[in-house]
Amino acid sequence: MPPESGRTEPDPQRLEAFEARIARGEKIEPGDWMPEAYRRQLVRMISQHAHSEVVGMLPEGAWITRAPSLRRKLILIAKVQDEAGHGQYLYHAAETLGVGREELVAALLEGRAKYSSVFNYPTLTWADVGMIGWLVDGAAIRNQLMLAQCSYGPYSRAMVRICAEETFHHKQGKEMVLTYAAGTPSQRAMAQDALDRWWWPSLMMLGPHDSDSPNTPQLARWGIKTKTNDQVRQEFVDEHVPELRQAGLTVPDPALRFDRASGHWVHGPIDWDEFWRVVKGNGPVNAERLAARRQAHEDGRWVREAMAAYAARAVATAS
Amino acid sequence: MTGSDGRSLPDTQWPRWEVFKQDAEGKPHQAVGSVHAADAEHALLMARSVHVRRPAAASLWVAPADAVYAVTAEQLTAAGDRDPRGAAPADASRDGSGPQRFLVFRKTSHRRSMTFVDHVGEVDAPGPEAALAAARVAFPDPPALAWWVVPASQVVASPADEAPAWFDPARSKTYKQQSEYGTLNAGQRKGERS
Repeated sequence: MPPESGRTEPDPQRLEAFEARIARGEKIEPGDWMPEAYRRQLVRMISQHAHSEVVGMLPEGAWITRAPSLRRKLILIAKVQDEAGHGQYLYHAAETLGVGREELVAALLEGRAKYSSVFNYPTLTWADVGMIGWLVDGAAIRNQLMLAQCSYGPYSRAMVRICAEETFHHKQGKEMVLTYAAGTPSQRAMAQDALDRWWWPSLMMLGPHDSDSPNTPQLARWGIKTKTNDQVRQEFVDEHVPELRQAGLTVPDPALRFDRASGHWVHGPIDWDEFWRVVKGNGPVNAERLAARRQAHEDGRWVREAMAAYAARAVATAS
Repeated sequence: MTGSDGRSLPDTQWPRWEVFKQDAEGKPHQAVGSVHAADAEHALLMARSVHVRRPAAASLWVAPADAVYAVTAEQLTAAGDRDPRGAAPADASRDGSGPQRFLVFRKTSHRRSMTFVDHVGEVDAPGPEAALAAARVAFPDPPALAWWVVPASQVVASPADEAPAWFDPARSKTYKQQSEYGTLNAGQRKGERS
């Protein structure tokens, strides 16, 4: 990574030309000039996003062996495999900005990297798998549709591909929850319990209130984010509340109301203390998630060593 | 990288390989991203896992990332008549033994896309800068926003005679397609079981 050169102000003429390109809707590509702060913000966002995909495999992966039917098992395996792939698309996008995948992975394993707060909540029942697909992936898609418009070419392309695949995640989860919501009393209770536990974390995962999101104005001017956290959160609420209610489920927010004047659903206050507690590493299962990720990395060591030895022997044999 | 136990980790930093995917015969190979791999065969397998979990693909190419000479339109403008050397890779592929063949890729649109540069053809040249100059003459329209030239000798393709084994399984996994789920509506689902 280049040193602290970005602390100095960029050349005003180049900055003006750069911002004009973004205003014209052009994509910035690897090799093009960019302000150091643009590069730094992108590395921050893309690496957090990549880690979220990787850690996101854990809450659901634990349920693969307990899926209630072969069809559900095939779907869940494919979904978790997608998350692994999405992590790789995003590490690739970060690599085009001059950081290595190894240093990003090391930061995650050593607990120095952030990832989405939502994955630090436990998956207690099978219905959580459906609710994560419907709500957590539903929230993620809202954010990712916005990021697909991003001015940085490699991030935008990764988002377009991820959105296409995540739509399957969203729909399989919704299908599952609708099935249970229309099922036996115990199935309905399981769906409601999952909604009770995942609703607020899903709202929180879209990030702090705009008033606590100091990076947003610059990110907007440079076309990295084209909507604010609160705007994306409102889209998520407007999309999901009517469908959850139609399914006969109760959104766990006594203050939730439809505002006729604006045409929006208005949610009650979010517990930001809980959000910051989880982001700072003190959520219900932060430690468990990192331990599982480290164990997986250790368990794969012999494969990496074998691959390296095989490749080295092929080179030696060839010469 | 060194692990907390002090052991050196032969970790994730195998060389990076750029991946080009062809969606169907007759369509261009398109740059879709990169993978880390120990050798070309490993890179192709990683490319299939990472980039071909859905239909459709007919062929994959991989090339070592450091064999790609990548230049954007902005870099060409800034360089004027000079070579835009700022982006030149290590020049290992040049051994002075005469012209070699380069594959040419370019991007021509800012439209929303999953892919970057498309394969457009080949040129013969003594080195990557000369190959880019030849490519700009051979493929002038529409104006390119980004160019990649890659020595043909560095590109490894998935085996053509094994294409069904490589790519057909993804086609049958229709449960990965969002279309499999149709329009989901709470009202319609009442009373169904699965």
